[in-house]
Amino acid sequence: MESCTKCGKPNVIIKRPASGQALCKDCFIESIEKKVKQTIKKENFLEKGDKVLVALSGGKDSVVTLEILNSYVERHIIELCAVTIDEGIAGYREEGVEIAKAHAKRLGIPHKVVSFKESFGIDLDEIMKMENHRGSCTYCGVFRRWIINRAAREFGATKIATGHNLDDEAQAILMNYLEGNTENLAKIGPKTESNSELFTVKIKPLREIPEKEIGLYALAKGLDIHLAGCPYAQQSFRMEISNILKELSKDHPTIMYSTLRGFDKISPAIRKQVAHDYEFDRCERCGEPSSNRLCRACTFLEELGH
Amino acid sequence: MSFTLKIKDKVEERELDGELTIKDLLDDLELSSETVVSKKNGEIVIDEEKIEDGDEIEFIQIIYGG
Repeated sequence: MESCTKCGKPNVIIKRPASGQALCKDCFIESIEKKVKQTIKKENFLEKGDKVLVALSGGKDSVVTLEILNSYVERHIIELCAVTIDEGIAGYREEGVEIAKAHAKRLGIPHKVVSFKESFGIDLDEIMKMENHRGSCTYCGVFRRWIINRAAREFGATKIATGHNLDDEAQAILMNYLEGNTENLAKIGPKTESNSELFTVKIKPLREIPEKEIGLYALAKGLDIHLAGCPYAQQSFRMEISNILKELSKDHPTIMYSTLRGFDKISPAIRKQVAHDYEFDRCERCGEPSSNRLCRACTFLEELGH
Repeated sequence: MSFTLKIKDKVEERELDGELTIKDLLDDLELSSETVVSKKNGEIVIDEEKIEDGDEIEFIQIIYGG
């Protein structure tokens, strides 16, 4: 039987081909927490007194983000609050909402559930029944960002933490590069900041942790997580890229790390070259920041007749 | 000789002929260890773990497409 390369105990739960490590449960949990804390320190994600809003879906990434950030609450460095978005996907979202509520309650974190229906008067199931819709993910991304930004201001949050992981980041880099989408490439990074005070800084504490290891951490710690695939998930370009990266990782286990590291090095040059300083005004309809007459969410709502 | 296989709510009894590892079983079911966490008798195990008579094996899918 293989033993832990760190402490020598038997019952290894992971072998990491990238480093040659084999770790037992306790050493694996410790390694993830250490790595996330290193990222937080390196990127200056947190300052004493920060109030961090976690976008908490109840899935593995957001639950692990909440769990690890809570250790900073225990050390009286930050405060946490959480928002869960109910898109209105019958038979799918309900379980995630309940899991999110239970975690917030367990940790004593102020939490609110905000639905598409109460925010926009229409939910995702209704949108998907309409003709000429733009595809579920387009609405979901824009509407969720709208709700999260607003919730951050309502909570008085100074940061928004999302559960983006190493796979998400490597996929975004490769996707946008291959599509020649330099505008989007310039936006990828550990922190998302804007020149509008109406946007709260977004941080990604898990961006150096592979997705599989986040799931493994949640299960190793016995955290309840929502394990289900979105019924509207479709074959997308991102999925094709994800499959390519997973296939490459079999023989080149460091490929996602090197994609991220290389990109982070050239990112300042990309930003300098292509990023614009958008002038933000307020959306005429909802008052949220927008560089156009209407923000993206309201543009979509007008198209949908809402 | 047999073992129990659990995937989500589906539980089935499977024959155990000769040596079988978690990896063999994942390959047989066309599942990828990149998206699944494996448990043997309630404990998380690695792909090389041997499956023995009477074991309860559970595969938990943690990564979904989309």
